[in-house]
Amino acid sequence: MDLYLPIAEMPMNVFLLLGMGAAVGFLSGMFGVGGGFLLTPLLIFSGISPAVAVASVSSQIVANSASGVLAYLRKKTVDLKLGLYLTLSGIIGSAIGVWVYGALRGVGQLDVVIALCYVAFLGTIGMLMAVEAVRAIIAKQRGTPLPVRRPGQHSWIAGLPLRVRFHRSRLYISALPVITLGAAIGFLGALLGIGGGFIMVPALIYLLRVPTTIVIGTTLLQTLGTMAFTTFMQSATNQTVDVILGLALMVGGVVGAQFGARAGQSLRGETLRLLLGLLVLAVGLRFAVDLVAKPEELYSISRMGGS
Amino acid sequence: MIARSLLAAILVLAPSLLRAETLVTALSTERVSIESNFTGSGVVIFGTVERDQQTVARGAPYEVVVTLTGPLRPMVARRKERVAGIWINRTSSELPRVPSFLAIATTAPMADVAGNPVRARQGLGFDMLPTRGLPDALPPIRTEFDGAFFRLMQKEGLFSLNEGGVEFLSPQLFRAPIALPSNVPIGWYTATVYLFSGGALLAKTTQDFSILKGGFEQAITNLAHRQPALYGLATVVVACFTGWLAGVAFRRD
Repeated sequence: MDLYLPIAEMPMNVFLLLGMGAAVGFLSGMFGVGGGFLLTPLLIFSGISPAVAVASVSSQIVANSASGVLAYLRKKTVDLKLGLYLTLSGIIGSAIGVWVYGALRGVGQLDVVIALCYVAFLGTIGMLMAVEAVRAIIAKQRGTPLPVRRPGQHSWIAGLPLRVRFHRSRLYISALPVITLGAAIGFLGALLGIGGGFIMVPALIYLLRVPTTIVIGTTLLQTLGTMAFTTFMQSATNQTVDVILGLALMVGGVVGAQFGARAGQSLRGETLRLLLGLLVLAVGLRFAVDLVAKPEELYSISRMGGS
Repeated sequence: MIARSLLAAILVLAPSLLRAETLVTALSTERVSIESNFTGSGVVIFGTVERDQQTVARGAPYEVVVTLTGPLRPMVARRKERVAGIWINRTSSELPRVPSFLAIATTAPMADVAGNPVRARQGLGFDMLPTRGLPDALPPIRTEFDGAFFRLMQKEGLFSLNEGGVEFLSPQLFRAPIALPSNVPIGWYTATVYLFSGGALLAKTTQDFSILKGGFEQAITNLAHRQPALYGLATVVVACFTGWLAGVAFRRD
């Protein structure tokens, strides 16, 4: 059954959309990440213009993170103050990202920048995750616990000025790395159509030393705030959010996420991180191959100044 | 003096007394509406060649060409080149006013219908359609970017040539069905019918029709374009509501 998407101006099979939403939702529920980094490329590969794909996926991420935030708020594992700092800086980053997006599209270099960013970020993060998970698995089998870095031992980040106290996370750190991190994630989110959870979670744990119990809920809050703003901005400036496309992905996504979360609970932490790392790495490699291999079609056509 | 100007007037008017054929054409629809289940559609162009006793006898058969032209748009063609090991868009060329859709149907192979000079003046055919400026007596000069534009538009199904797609039902009556693919651009379309005989253009008609989104689809598009802030806000509210609903529906504690 085909459904005509009014903003994308093309029909797409509604079951394919629900299925893509559900599959990505399943993985995101299993790994606790938003899944935008999978969904946006999937939509682009299935023929939706990158402009509409990136903008519409941001609305799907809003729905996904909203249901997640509610669950973590009930468990009271969200640092609202840290989330607010990250969200406000994320909004600034997102505004810059939406602007850069438009400028790159105008000069025809958006696709290559998106591909390069995917290769760089997914490659790096995927590699780090996979290596860390393999080391954890090996250590567990040998019975030698990995040296755990104590939360008190801060690096150069501790020396920065403008310190702020975050009670819930039991942190007294400079606001500068917090704001930089939030802005960077917001920028990437708008440019690449990703929530950025897979970058934010390790950054909060390893760079800012936020307690692991607080990390997911706070990240989801930041994703919700930043992506709601991105959806609004993409609608207001680029008019590329397809609400019908977004809705189909949301419905598939939120249902898939519930089953994914159940599946995730039956897997061990290290196995989960290894699988996620490999998945992230695979998407990055797919983009790398496209960049390096000689394309079958050297020419492309697009509307001047638009999609 | 008066007699001479009268004579001149008669000489000027004389060819029109020897009447040429007239074309009468009609479209099967004046408005194609795109609803939520739209997967493509079609339009049929009908026509008759009207002639009477004054019409000169033709040695060659009638040939008809029908074109369906979508809204004109500025386009850019780009070419990828290898830079530092990766393929990126390097060179580009602007095509300031080109159709977003062009279907051509003919009764016979294009080259047999009319010669290049006649088609060049009308901008008729993929090889004669000007990508910069207006049709001219000389065929347009094609760059590699123009070639890529025509090739890619055909690959996307937006440009098509159907030689033999116009069918004469009787010596005077013809019909040309033209398919509209699912990715057909929205806007005003012009159906142009050309009547040829022996390589000469005898008559030409144009008719407009529109391809518009249906009520619900159009309402969403209007909101997105005219009230973008409200549309954005509504989308965020819908997303938050969906998320909340899922959270409540699947709550396990």
